[in-house]
Amino acid sequence: MSNKAARNLFIFICIFFFAIFIALSADTLSQIDKRAPEITDEVNAGKMVWHKYDCIGCHTIFGTGSYFAPDLTKITDKKPKDYLKKFLMDPRGVNPRAAMPKLGINSTEADNLITFFQWVAKVDTNGWPPKPILATAAEVGGAALTPGQSLYQSLGCVNCHMLNGIGGTTGPELTHVASRHDRAWLQGHLKDPKAYVPGSAMPDFKQLSDQQANDLTDYMASLK
Amino acid sequence: MSIKYESQKIAQYFYTFAVVLFLVQVLVGLIAAVQFMRPDIFILNFNIVKTLHINALVVWLLVGMMGATYYVIPEESETELWSLPLAKMQFWATVIAITAVVLGYIWQGLDPQANKLIAGTLALNEGRKYIEAPRWADFLIVVSVLLFLLNCFMTVMKTRKWTGIQGTLLTGLTFLAVMYLPGMVYFKSMVRDQFFWWWVVHLWVEGAWEIIAGALLAFMLMKVTDVKREVVEKWMYIEVGLVMFTGILGTGHHYYWIGTPSYWLWIGGVFSSLEPVPLLVMVWDAFRTTRETRVVDNKPGLYYTVSHAIFNFVGAGLWGVIHTLPQVNKWTHGTQITTAHGHLAFYGAYVLLVLSMIYVTLPAIRGVKSFNHSRALQSFWWMTISMVFIVLVTTGAGMVQVYMERLMGLDYVAVKTTYNLWFWILRAIFGVGFLIGVAIFVIDFFKLGREPLTVAKVATERA
Ligand code: HEC
Ligand code: HEC
Ligand code: HEM
Ligand code: HEM
Ligand SMILES: [Fe+2]
Repeated sequence: MSNKAARNLFIFICIFFFAIFIALSADTLSQIDKRAPEITDEVNAGKMVWHKYDCIGCHTIFGTGSYFAPDLTKITDKKPKDYLKKFLMDPRGVNPRAAMPKLGINSTEADNLITFFQWVAKVDTNGWPPKPILATAAEVGGAALTPGQSLYQSLGCVNCHMLNGIGGTTGPELTHVASRHDRAWLQGHLKDPKAYVPGSAMPDFKQLSDQQANDLTDYMASLK
Repeated sequence: MSIKYESQKIAQYFYTFAVVLFLVQVLVGLIAAVQFMRPDIFILNFNIVKTLHINALVVWLLVGMMGATYYVIPEESETELWSLPLAKMQFWATVIAITAVVLGYIWQGLDPQANKLIAGTLALNEGRKYIEAPRWADFLIVVSVLLFLLNCFMTVMKTRKWTGIQGTLLTGLTFLAVMYLPGMVYFKSMVRDQFFWWWVVHLWVEGAWEIIAGALLAFMLMKVTDVKREVVEKWMYIEVGLVMFTGILGTGHHYYWIGTPSYWLWIGGVFSSLEPVPLLVMVWDAFRTTRETRVVDNKPGLYYTVSHAIFNFVGAGLWGVIHTLPQVNKWTHGTQITTAHGHLAFYGAYVLLVLSMIYVTLPAIRGVKSFNHSRALQSFWWMTISMVFIVLVTTGAGMVQVYMERLMGLDYVAVKTTYNLWFWILRAIFGVGFLIGVAIFVIDFFKLGREPLTVAKVATERA
């Protein structure tokens, strides 16, 4: 191949593949909005707050960003709004060991951020993030759960609390919780956390039937 | 070794600024690494420290490439630069703009509320990785780059010697400038935001910058050996042609999970899997040329050039291809595996590229025939061995993270603070090794050709 032919090939490749790329991009752009809910003013305001505090400097969203802090794509599926709001405004007020600093986010900003996260969580991401394979397998296999244990799973306590090495880190670890609190405290706290811990960020579980609350408290009280 | 055109000396301004920023980049990188264990160790939060780390990186690489280009263009065009005063002005404008941006980040770090929304854009930090620079700074950067390109094109037009090397170099630089523009638009949709963000990030490092690397590699091979121009230029065209063939549609490897249609899964998978091919051709090109032709007496220049080719392939090619298929990327996306790849790729492809250009051209700029080689080689080994270990350690952290968090479903913070703790400690230790290498390099940069050579040293270097 002569130099000239090599050069022309390079130019041809540039033009050809750019043309395809632009065509595909045009098609993609025409589909993007159909794969996501409508963008309201609050969603956009929340996105602006996201940029203002450079959240991407620590977190990822859709898995893109920085790797210092958890991905937030599905955060509103995992944590209730009230809790998120408290955390955003004062991370260490919720979890004394939090690495996230208090950035000075105000109440409106926090609300908008949460609306933005709710929008993000509904975007069709081709199935990302994937469900953990082994955790899913364990749920199917572990049939012999007590009623309290299965409530603990289904109510999402595991998202916030660590128990025997599994679970979230934003709430206190529960592995030995019964050595700190008695049965009455545990049951009362479950129904109304703020009455026991002023300013608690834990959601209340008033909606539970007495039977359910008893089962769950039995389980908690067994964690010596 | 000496320069042919007086205006080539302007390269040294740019190199000096680049070298200073390199030192800053690695210092703050080390702080960021320690913040994985002690988040509150420094007055600025992790996000600001890391922003400084990656902005310093990108800027010093760009400034270094500009310096290198100012060296290459007069030589290839066989004439003085079109306007030396313009080049100097453009240099100082860049320094001032960058300093202002950095002060803005620090201000925001000290007071997050200072990042106010003014006329629809954020005043200090746009809050988008790598392109954090606020809009007003974007315009200054664009003006600076346009003046730079103008100066280069006008120089070429003086003699109209469109050599392959400078034609390709300027194509890459123009492409680079154009790809900055999609980062200057605000999108209400986070999906569109990320879609165009990758135009900037991916089409830079896997498009425009690789074209520049291909052209500079050809230039350096001609400088450190007596290879014929026809041969290097032909291979250069083949390399950059393959880069564009694989790299443009390879952008799809970032469009798997951000809310874009699923056809990108196979387009991105297929084309990005081929991306290592041109990088492998570059390695082969570097080896063949240095084996088959006589080597000129600039051992550091040769050393750095060949290692650039090798680590470009290993960091970008190998460490890129391992997580580029959607079936793998689904699990590794946005983990420490990405960090590992990002570091080795940037180090191999662009840090070593700019350092090679410095070692190939600086002796001529300083007008010395021989120089002390030992520091150049020492710094090379300190940096390269430390970087390889930083990358192995973060790859280890990434594997643990993928297994524990993504496959077993453990909490992100639990994995980070307990299972990966040792990896963070090791990364910081190797980071110190890297810093030592940089320090040796900086000393060498300022001393090169400016100290008397002892007779014994001259004798060994000639041998
Ligand atoms: C300096 C780094 C940093 C910055 C900046 C930062 N975060 Fe965080 N964030 C963290 C870390 C680390 C965690 C994990 C929990 C912890 O240790 O604090 C976290 C946790 C969170 C959580 C709770 C996740 C959970 O599962 O409970 C939310 C929500 C969150 N961040 C949102 C944001 C938003 C919104 C912003 C921008 C306004 C932001 N973060 C900026 C570091 C940061
Ligand atoms: C959204 C996060 C979140 C969820 C979900 C959650 N908690 Fe909590 N929990 C917290 C926080 C934060 C605290 C600390 C403040 C407090 O004690 O109220 C806490 C405290 C506790 C405590 C007291 C621990 C101690 O050592 O003082 C118990 C017990 C507890 N939670 C049980 C549960 C149970 C059972 C569930 C599920 C039904 C649950 N939590 C769901 C966040 C959560
Ligand atoms: C010189 C060339 C390259 C450089 C400098 C580079 C650099 C980077 C960086 C810094 C990131 C992280 C971006 C971020 O901060 O979010 C990244 C991501 C990525 N790169 Fe590269 N890269 C190069 C070449 C390649 C090649 C050749 C491949 C594939 C063969 C590749 C595959 C990937 C993939 C798949 C990701 C996404 C990772 C994820 O899903 O989190 N890269 N690259
Ligand atoms: C020339 C050498 C270096 C280059 C080219 C480089 C490049 C980069 C790049 C491109 C990023 C952004 C991508 C990412 O977030 O992973 C980054 C982040 C980072 N770098 Fe570096 N870096 C270098 C040296 C160092 C050193 C010596 C350290 C300290 C040990 C360091 C520590 C970090 C840390 C902690 C992050 C944040 C990673 C994360 O978010 O998890 N870097 N660097
Ligand atoms: Fe890419």
